Amino acid sequence: MLKVHRARQGLTFPLLSDVNTEVIRRYDLLHAGAGPGHTDIARPGEFLIDRSGTVRWVNLTPSFIVRARPEEVLHAYDSSAQH
Amino acid sequence: MKRSWNKSIWAGFVLVLAGLVSYIPVFALFPITRDFPWVNLVLCAAGLALLGSGLTRAFRTPQLYRGKVFGSVLTVLSMIGVGLFCWVLLYEARQLPASNAAPHLGQKAPDFTLPDQDGKAVALGDLLTAGAADGLKPGGVLLIFYRGYW
Repeated sequence: MLKVHRARQGLTFPLLSDVNTEVIRRYDLLHAGAGPGHTDIARPGEFLIDRSGTVRWVNLTPSFIVRARPEEVLHAYDSSAQH
Repeated sequence: MKRSWNKSIWAGFVLVLAGLVSYIPVFALFPITRDFPWVNLVLCAAGLALLGSGLTRAFRTPQLYRGKVFGSVLTVLSMIGVGLFCWVLLYEARQLPASNAAPHLGQKAPDFTLPDQDGKAVALGDLLTAGAADGLKPGGVLLIFYRGYW
């Protein structure tokens, strides 16, 4: 499914699945019961991580219809790269 | 005397319907109309205004215009639809967990290993050092958690 979706959208980055919501829990992003049939899914969240593994930018949207825009992420990357 | 069809009731109902169903396939695709669904709300407001004026003339001049019954039904349905739309997108969408323990700025991102689209195990550490398959040295990793296909 992810493979088809990735090819169809022309994505070049990997799509990882966290079916047991393990990493989602480790990052404290679990949205309990919000998925189809009251399953647990992730709240939306974006993290920019530098080469040393340090978090350089975090976006935890207050509303699931509002997501980070590409230009926001690029701006965050440019300003964190200067340091 | 033959009463005329109350066109503004129908036009209003069609506008409200268009305003409700077009968010996901059309306006959610563009950040400027997705983050706040203003185009859809404008369409719905225009539709409700037309319904209101159609209903008014159906009740004030029932000898000229039809629509007292079906106009009322369509108006109530439209109001329920618009109410649900606003409730989901403006209230329900904001009921997200606070995620206070999510990794903060300056903190080390917890490492993890998960299967990718081909079932191959990928670790965050691998992505940071080797990057994705394109062979370019990464400047970092953007980690995006999403809710399914969206």
